[in-house]
Amino acid sequence: MRKVCIIAGGMCKWGVRNASQRDLFQEAARACFLDNPNVTNKDVDGIIVSSAYTERCSFQTHLAPLVAEHVGIKPRSVCMRVELLCASGSSGIITAYGLIKAGVADVVMVIGGEKLYMPQKWEVFYSEMASVDHDWDGAQGLGLPPAAFAMVAKQHMKKYGTTEEQMAMVSVKNRRNGLNNPNGQFQEPIDLATAMNAKVIVRPMKLYDCCPITDGAAAVILASEEKAKQLTDKPLVYIMGSGQASVHNMSANMPDWTTWVALKTAAQQAYKAAGLTPSHIHVAQTHDCFTISEIIEYEDLGFCEKGEGGRFIQDGQSDFGGKVPVNTDGGLLSCGHPFGATGIRQAIEIMRQLRGDAVRQVEGAQFGLTHNLSGFIAAHTVVIYGREA
Amino acid sequence: MQSMDLFQGKYIATMDLYPQQAPEFNRIYPFYQHLKEGRFTTTKCKKCGARPFPPRVVCPECMSDELEWVDLPTEGTVLVVTEEEVGVPLGFETPLIHALVDLDGQLRLFTRIVNAKMGELKEGDRVKLHVFKVPPVPMEKGREVVEVERYYYAFEPVKAS
Repeated sequence: MRKVCIIAGGMCKWGVRNASQRDLFQEAARACFLDNPNVTNKDVDGIIVSSAYTERCSFQTHLAPLVAEHVGIKPRSVCMRVELLCASGSSGIITAYGLIKAGVADVVMVIGGEKLYMPQKWEVFYSEMASVDHDWDGAQGLGLPPAAFAMVAKQHMKKYGTTEEQMAMVSVKNRRNGLNNPNGQFQEPIDLATAMNAKVIVRPMKLYDCCPITDGAAAVILASEEKAKQLTDKPLVYIMGSGQASVHNMSANMPDWTTWVALKTAAQQAYKAAGLTPSHIHVAQTHDCFTISEIIEYEDLGFCEKGEGGRFIQDGQSDFGGKVPVNTDGGLLSCGHPFGATGIRQAIEIMRQLRGDAVRQVEGAQFGLTHNLSGFIAAHTVVIYGREA
Repeated sequence: MQSMDLFQGKYIATMDLYPQQAPEFNRIYPFYQHLKEGRFTTTKCKKCGARPFPPRVVCPECMSDELEWVDLPTEGTVLVVTEEEVGVPLGFETPLIHALVDLDGQLRLFTRIVNAKMGELKEGDRVKLHVFKVPPVPMEKGREVVEVERYYYAFEPVKAS
């Protein structure tokens, strides 16, 4: 099997954008090629587009050929869209990884994005009822995620003594990390008091505990090691392994609200494939859709003991200088969350961290990890990246 | 508005909050018929005994298609409550209350709670099935349009008598 590298990546400005879905995809592709001028759209033989709400918010299916046409790529190995809601981006990456590894494709652009702000705001919120099991959870009004994550937070607080302050510390850290990230949705720092006194969304979740709705797109280029050596002069960053797991979809079948079984499975699979353990990871981008999510992810990714996630953030272990800096580019809480683009944004940040050219650099980082959660905490996707020492 | 004129009041299934319940569109339609009778049911596999929720047409354990309808408890105990004060989706009113409910050891359901005020519902409270009518589907049958009556469920507090 061939080795696979990530050789370029870029994102457009994320936020409330005066632009269409296809505008955002073009901007992201341009940013991706600007990151590595040695590779052009003529070098790309395949495209994988990641988008979850393209039908609901842009009335557009069969998206891959449309994006390829707009960004000047004429795919001949692979031309498809993948969808796994909030983890569509990581799904695109592991699909391209497998295809390149197996020799089906050589140089693939994985590009994801969403246009979520609509002429009338209610429509995107209403569409969220299609993101969970529509017939059983959506019809209960469980489409919008804050209620589910508030339920998780309440149980984690009760079981492990996690506090609202510890949750707020996650948003303070990620807002601080996002300060130097001009493409993120927010560049305003918040302090603990602001986070604690913010408007209640669903108790105990307050405004800054929740990621926003975001328009945006991001793109990366994956290549076989042989092609990568021709197409980049930056340090080679390899995909070392991945795991993707699901054990339930409907809320009633969630085996455990505070230990995410599928996350542990996906992580174990990825660590095993990479030949690494959690202690090897120097930097991670995890799915901080809500502050409580990041706390549970520290635990279930193995960065700390179960139940110690609140202590982990409080002690600064997920910050620069700590055990594993997490969400070094600001995460979902600061960058925003255009579903299909998020996993790609995470991959870009890990690529930069391992190349050594990140905006907020973790010194000497050699191994990095991304984690995407999707749906009613229903699927987890983990990818591990590494640079040769 | 122009878009309203375009659709001429037509029914749009892709914007419908509730499931299709007509036999023409759903093989588990008996669930909704049972609901109308005040029963909360699911399917049980006649071969291996698996009793998943939601109901199926094929057993997810052994792939048998010999399934039968069985009743689940219509009362349960509240484990955790959440109350949404803002940002409730269209079709729901504030506060939107949800609870994780233990249906007497047979199922843990994360369900909407109706007929309760903000701050009223507590852990350990008993709740019971509440069935209500939802908008019918105007379904084309040949050249006619027939109205398919529909029901859905939530839970509500069992008031202390």
